[in-house]
Amino acid sequence: MRFVAPKVLQALFVVWATYTVTFLLIHALPGDPVLAALAVRAGDAATTDPEVLDALRAQYGLDGSVLHQYVTHFLALFRGDLGVSMATGYEVSDMVARALPKTAAVAALALALGFAGALSFTIAAYLARPHWLRSTISQIPPLGIAIPAFLTGVVLISVFSFQLGWFPASGANGFSSIVLPAITLSLPTGAVFYQVFSAAVFEAGDAGFVRTAQAKGLSQPVVIGRHILRNAVLPAITIIGIQIGYLAGGTAVVETVFSRDGIGRITVDAVLARDINVVTGVVMVVAVIYAVTTMIVDLLYGVLDPRIRTRVAAKPRARATTPAGGADA
Amino acid sequence: MTIPARIPPRRLAMPVAAVAFATVLAGCSGASETPTSDTPDAEPAAVQDVVFALKEDPTCLDPQQTSMTTSLNVGRQLTDSLLDQDAETGDIVPWLASDWSVNDDATAYTFTLAEGVTFSDGTALTSDVVAANFDAIVELGAAASLASAYLGGYAGTDVISDTEFTVNFSAPNVQFAQGATTMSLGILSAETVAASAEERCLSLVGTGPFVLDSYVVNDSVKIVKREGYDWGSELRGHTGEAYLDSVTFPIITEASVRTGGLESGEYDLIQDVPYIDEARFAGDEYHLYAAANPGVPNAFLVNTTHGLMGEEAVRQAITKSLDRDQINVLTGSVSGQAPTSVLTSSTPGYTDLGDTLAYDPEGAAALLEADGWELGADGIYERDGEALTFTVTAFYAQDVLEAAQIQLADNGIDMQINMVSAGDFFGAIATGDYDALGAGLTRTDPDVLRVLLSVDGGSRWAIAEDDELEALLQEQAATVDTDARQAIIDEIQQLVAERAYVIPTLETVQLHASSSSVEGLTFDSAARINLYDAVVVD
Repeated sequence: MRFVAPKVLQALFVVWATYTVTFLLIHALPGDPVLAALAVRAGDAATTDPEVLDALRAQYGLDGSVLHQYVTHFLALFRGDLGVSMATGYEVSDMVARALPKTAAVAALALALGFAGALSFTIAAYLARPHWLRSTISQIPPLGIAIPAFLTGVVLISVFSFQLGWFPASGANGFSSIVLPAITLSLPTGAVFYQVFSAAVFEAGDAGFVRTAQAKGLSQPVVIGRHILRNAVLPAITIIGIQIGYLAGGTAVVETVFSRDGIGRITVDAVLARDINVVTGVVMVVAVIYAVTTMIVDLLYGVLDPRIRTRVAAKPRARATTPAGGADA
Repeated sequence: MTIPARIPPRRLAMPVAAVAFATVLAGCSGASETPTSDTPDAEPAAVQDVVFALKEDPTCLDPQQTSMTTSLNVGRQLTDSLLDQDAETGDIVPWLASDWSVNDDATAYTFTLAEGVTFSDGTALTSDVVAANFDAIVELGAAASLASAYLGGYAGTDVISDTEFTVNFSAPNVQFAQGATTMSLGILSAETVAASAEERCLSLVGTGPFVLDSYVVNDSVKIVKREGYDWGSELRGHTGEAYLDSVTFPIITEASVRTGGLESGEYDLIQDVPYIDEARFAGDEYHLYAAANPGVPNAFLVNTTHGLMGEEAVRQAITKSLDRDQINVLTGSVSGQAPTSVLTSSTPGYTDLGDTLAYDPEGAAALLEADGWELGADGIYERDGEALTFTVTAFYAQDVLEAAQIQLADNGIDMQINMVSAGDFFGAIATGDYDALGAGLTRTDPDVLRVLLSVDGGSRWAIAEDDELEALLQEQAATVDTDARQAIIDEIQQLVAERAYVIPTLETVQLHASSSSVEGLTFDSAARINLYDAVVVD
């Protein structure tokens, strides 16, 4: 419990801080969000009649003082009420519920592909001889983050959709529609995983216990599997939280290129339309996911690496057992 | 004030995509032959299902509420209007109303409905339903801004019988006849009209040649043929049901994916071909469809109460310093033409004012010099230490503004571009804080000039403060006689162009493309698509 409570508080703080920063940023922007939303809906027939605008402002909960809005909108979050999209008229919670599974499917596959790809490259690089081959292999994964997702996406569409016809170029129907977007996103994700993996693996590879294992005559696969990879997995798990944050942004590009409905797409549309209820809603949902994932990773870290759990837990226990300890000594 | 980046991001994306496609498509010349259907039948055109890629989510399908082109392109297929308008001649002909008349001061329009028309839910089209439609539009107000503008001064509908009714206005409303031809005043079923604004956006029932099958937000729209449809207007190419069995509209936001998909055969039709890609689809394998938006072309809409825009000589010098043909070559569609009036060439009532709007740099210089302006050392005119500069506020068509900016600079006029978001554009209108706006206004009636310029106009973006013009704008709106009204509209166009309240830059063209196997796509008078006559051929 002493280990868990601070992590939960930390997660709550992240959510509150995100809300506050988002709120401040949105309200610091010049311009009228109601007009922006009207411009989307009505195009060149948008009205600028002040009375109509005031009525709409009230309808979308944008009347009253800034402090009043800050408090009411924050409290509404706990009821799951994210407000109404001004540009489309839909409930924000409905939009998020509609889009989130589609984005999650792509992100999950991208994460898995990126993880698997990074692992393969790491092992290949570790085993590669001579040195120039190892260097060459090591240089490939960073390309994944160097090439913009937009370009990767367009190239994949041209080859696998238009030319070969294996996967659809657009839409969010069925597994086949997930593949190309997930591959596109897995490249930068995998590149980041690779950096962490390879650093850990090469470090472990030089460590004494590996040399000992090799000296004992253990086979190469056993050494890699049992002694090296286990040490590389921990840092990789640590960055999953960061990766999820990245994926939330990366889906914006991928969902636009692949014309998929999803969190990234509605965020882009909402930002362009200054649809502040949607922007806030999406940011909050992503913040909660991020905070919860980071919290779980933190807790998992403790499970996987007993040193961490003991380190945190040890301090209070040490204080509580001082007399006994003293007696021992 | 934001100083805009020289290259808009979309333009930047285009060459990147083009390179990608060129590399990949190089080895597959036969790619565009791929049939879209799974069953390549021996019998030609047995399959009448087409895929039509849209450029954006329609957001709201209800044609009465939306004024988004993409949405209207879908809504037009689902709804019919009381009247129809010949896109070429501007003549207004019967459609759902078999007969109609207007009183002398354009305050009462009496319609007789065609017999046997039903909505796709089986209910009959009656006077009561039409009355409920108009009442609901007025009630929607700002949510149906375009439709309610056509119904300006609406004072209720008197139902005379099941098939006869009179629409009343508190003040003359000449443009209503034209408005009644648009999908904005398309007629929806009683049940649809009674639903909430949000519900109507997602699901609607009309009398049109197609019926809404499904709408998955941000993904696709599907419409299917209405069985038993037999009330197309005389302007259509055939009678009876539509040829196409179904049209699926996937929403493809990325232009390079739309064009690539048309080439590969994944899509049969695509909306909004980037002008830069026009040449790719000029061959025999494709059809290009182009129609200029009716209304006021893309233009500088000046605010004469702000900065130097109050000086007529300055405004006239600006309009004379613009080489509109060059702007069209640089930024327009090959299928388009340079604007030659303050109305586009596709607008009913358009008059050719090519001479008034001709490129005349000497004339511009003479006007400015007569007004005390002198060329400064930096090549920009000055007077009493003040530079000849003005700012154009806009939220689209930055390339057009940049082309104009270069031309004006060559002629000693400094133009600043203030690219803003759509919301901030309307914010500027609300506060009146701008020299000029860079925008067009799409409407199908010359009354658009009143909407844009008059003190009571719904979109008073150009602020002229000209009593003579104001009187003419009001007069045309109350003149029922077509010839008499046309004479006034000619006079208005001449006056607005001459005094440079509206300084046209480009006629925006709606540019769509299809594979050569699809024929018969037509445009209505508002440059929106009509798929009733469209057919798949072999």
